[in-house]
Amino acid sequence: MIGGGSTGAGVARDAAMRGLRTVLVERKDLADGTTGRFHGLLHSGGRYAVKDPDAAKECIAENVILRRTASDCIEDTGGLFVCTPWDDPAFGDEFVAGCRATGVPVEEIRVAEALRRAPRLHPGTSRAFTVPDAAIDPWKLVWGCARSAEEHGAQILLYHRVLGLERDGRRVTGALVRNELTGEELRIHADVVINAAGAWAGQIAELAGCRVNVLPGKGIMIAMNHRLVNTVVNRCKMPADGDIIVPIRTVCVVGTTDTRVADPDELEVTQAEVGEMLDEGEKLVPSFRRARALRVWAGARPLFSLEEVSDTREVTRSHALLDHRERDGVEGLVTITGGKTTTFRLMAEVAVDAACEQLGVDRSSRTAEEPLPGSEDGRFYFLGSRLRAREPVPQTDEIICECELITRERLEETMRRRGSANLDDIRRTLRLGMGPCQGGFCTYRATGILHAVERLDHRAANASLVSFLQERWKGVHPILYGDQVRQARLDDWIFQGLLGVQHLPT
Amino acid sequence: MTYDTIVIGAGVAGLTAALRLADEGKRVLVMAKGVGSTHLAPATIDVLGFDPGPVASPAEALPAFTSANPEHPYARLRPGLIAASVEWFKERLPAIGYQGGLEENFLLPTAVGAVKPSALVPETMAAGDLRTGGQYAFVGLGLKDFYPAYLAANLAQAQPDGHAVSARSIEVSLPLAGRPDGSSAGLARMLEEPSVRDALVRELSRKLERDERVGFPAVLGLARAGEVWRELETRLARPVFEVATLPPSVSGIRLYNAMSSALREAGGRIHVGEPVVGAETSGGRVEAVITQPTARASTYRADTFVLATGGLASGGLQLDSYGGVSESVFGLPLADTPPPGGPRFLPDYFAEHPLNRVGVAVDDRFRPIDAGGQAVYENLHASGATVAGAYPWREASGNGLSLATGYAAAAAILEGAS
Repeated sequence: MIGGGSTGAGVARDAAMRGLRTVLVERKDLADGTTGRFHGLLHSGGRYAVKDPDAAKECIAENVILRRTASDCIEDTGGLFVCTPWDDPAFGDEFVAGCRATGVPVEEIRVAEALRRAPRLHPGTSRAFTVPDAAIDPWKLVWGCARSAEEHGAQILLYHRVLGLERDGRRVTGALVRNELTGEELRIHADVVINAAGAWAGQIAELAGCRVNVLPGKGIMIAMNHRLVNTVVNRCKMPADGDIIVPIRTVCVVGTTDTRVADPDELEVTQAEVGEMLDEGEKLVPSFRRARALRVWAGARPLFSLEEVSDTREVTRSHALLDHRERDGVEGLVTITGGKTTTFRLMAEVAVDAACEQLGVDRSSRTAEEPLPGSEDGRFYFLGSRLRAREPVPQTDEIICECELITRERLEETMRRRGSANLDDIRRTLRLGMGPCQGGFCTYRATGILHAVERLDHRAANASLVSFLQERWKGVHPILYGDQVRQARLDDWIFQGLLGVQHLPT
Repeated sequence: MTYDTIVIGAGVAGLTAALRLADEGKRVLVMAKGVGSTHLAPATIDVLGFDPGPVASPAEALPAFTSANPEHPYARLRPGLIAASVEWFKERLPAIGYQGGLEENFLLPTAVGAVKPSALVPETMAAGDLRTGGQYAFVGLGLKDFYPAYLAANLAQAQPDGHAVSARSIEVSLPLAGRPDGSSAGLARMLEEPSVRDALVRELSRKLERDERVGFPAVLGLARAGEVWRELETRLARPVFEVATLPPSVSGIRLYNAMSSALREAGGRIHVGEPVVGAETSGGRVEAVITQPTARASTYRADTFVLATGGLASGGLQLDSYGGVSESVFGLPLADTPPPGGPRFLPDYFAEHPLNRVGVAVDDRFRPIDAGGQAVYENLHASGATVAGAYPWREASGNGLSLATGYAAAAAILEGAS
């Protein structure tokens, strides 16, 4: 199994649950690629109801399943589609018809009721519709799948890059991978290789001489410091840039754009794109530009197309399963690409079905029924859960990251479990440094603790600190204004003035 | 009531200007949105630490530095003023017990074990000077804002001043029962209790080697810092020093307390929590400033005004979402702004970002000037991080700039009056 995004982790889990001996290889960390770089929307399907009915049907079916099986990763925020003064109210009728035709539950509500649910919405909103959108935490989801896969006997190899696919004539028999941390190379034999490398799937398929036309579509997103809305709000119009705000965890995220890029590893965010996103945010929530923006990032959608297209918005959001036996005459290789995080489970299921067929194994998927670890009680995540865990009893444990309420005990336990010298890995697991100060206070503390827990030498600890600062800065510098520029300048004083980290050897 | 001078901002720059003027018998009012950046930074007076390599003697390095950086605020100061301000500061605040001067920088360990040159240091930090070499033990007190093992690991490799020092760490647990999640300030107050110090001395005496000097996070007392530090030196029978760490800065709070009480004793007034939101001006003069602490606006009149509201960090300068940067009180023209449409920040965190040196340009009397070089208001002076042209967190010149420019603004006002 190649790729540690939601699809890859989902495949590993599904395959392991069917009793297949499974190993997952990921070149970086779990959910480091597109899965960890989206807005966090669990689609109801409403977004595609008019334009891409097949995608809409897949979304609503999976939405219902995930609410049951991955409840701990989901905050049930609900969603609205609204006609702002810039949108044609008549599109609302088309939208409702599309939802009805694809099975997406939809209901028109009074504008006054919409404004009660989301008081910061534009007061000139003319129509509003409810749909079962929700927020889904990608890291929790992927780690949940990975843990479950391991419980079923799968092996997860992080920071292992695929260098080549092993061939025996027309058959793929495994992969040559390199441990990116130690440089050690490893040959893995496999009867079937599943390529779920997402936007990178074309690169992997090429290693077997197969051409897979994956178009990386860049989307940028901006996280705001406050939940300006507590329910997902979508513009009620055809999909376009900046048409959604998703409240997730302690922030809300405005997204997104769709630009075709050549290389999914080169996703630059421009000032112009940021400006456009803020202007679109302003149409949904007036004064959006005066709210505090925390961070901007870009993800690469894996859009699969049979032919060359210029506008990536025109490519279906449905997934594509490629069995390279019929397509390219190559046995032992299955590619699963396209799709969305919302439909990851289905993608995993069909990919493992195809693998089972090649293996001559007749066992069916159980992921639609069996909940992920942590979701057994069917209760949705709620925003106050970390506070609730701390509040009732006086605690002596220190809070190392105040923004995200991470205790020293939890941080140390995670560091020991992950065994990584990379604070960004810890961030993806615990949300370290993802709050308003963007690591201003916790980076030094976490480095001091990491130095002790991992017994790092001074250079390695310094490298952890400096690379975390650089990683945080990457998403901060294009959106620095208002209060966040004050925060960034305070951070400069702390790291460069007070601590002098620029003088440390790495 | 009419004041001689109203100072806007209660950081080192504003308080320096106010104290100098009050000492000369002027009626002075300091108005501030909140306590200044004193609470965020250590109380050391760094005049010039890096250019770009470590500076051994600011006195020797400054002439070359100012001629290479003619737009730097230091280049606006008349010769001898920095030295005069440093000597005055040292003498005027005996409670802090400043050591050193312009001739030689101390080399102090930072909380990550980097080495920072500093001109004036509080007596509680002076024994951390790495130029003397020798053996150092750093004591963690279970404070989440201080990691002595990491500090020692870096310092042991640092070779400050060309020769190695030996450094190690010791963890000591204080009786913290019932005091969860201790902050620096909380720990500082605890250490003012004799029983806590007894426990600390008891445990440390067993763990220290004979010739080790001993470093603590900067939490050795708040109101009675000198006393706590002296007692530890006596009872541990060795040099004891503090290492500055994350905000809130206990040593900075002590500095604020020392400066604000000196100002009050000299007859000055301070209104903290009363932000200035605008001004009345006429005929090229500032007549009054306007505050709005509650629903009703108030007007305060004075003959001269000092703007010491700080830079982007403290809100004296603001950057909007369209990339426009502005001065918050008077809307003064700004210098060192990035070219329109160009980037304000660069992708490399440690790069010199185009917006770093933004601020108001000033004349030789530290009055903000327009693009033509004319004073915007004849009776308005600026000091501290509001002034353009410096890169203090990299030069290690933060409090030095605030002190010297605050001192210079006061000097200009006093000369204008005489």
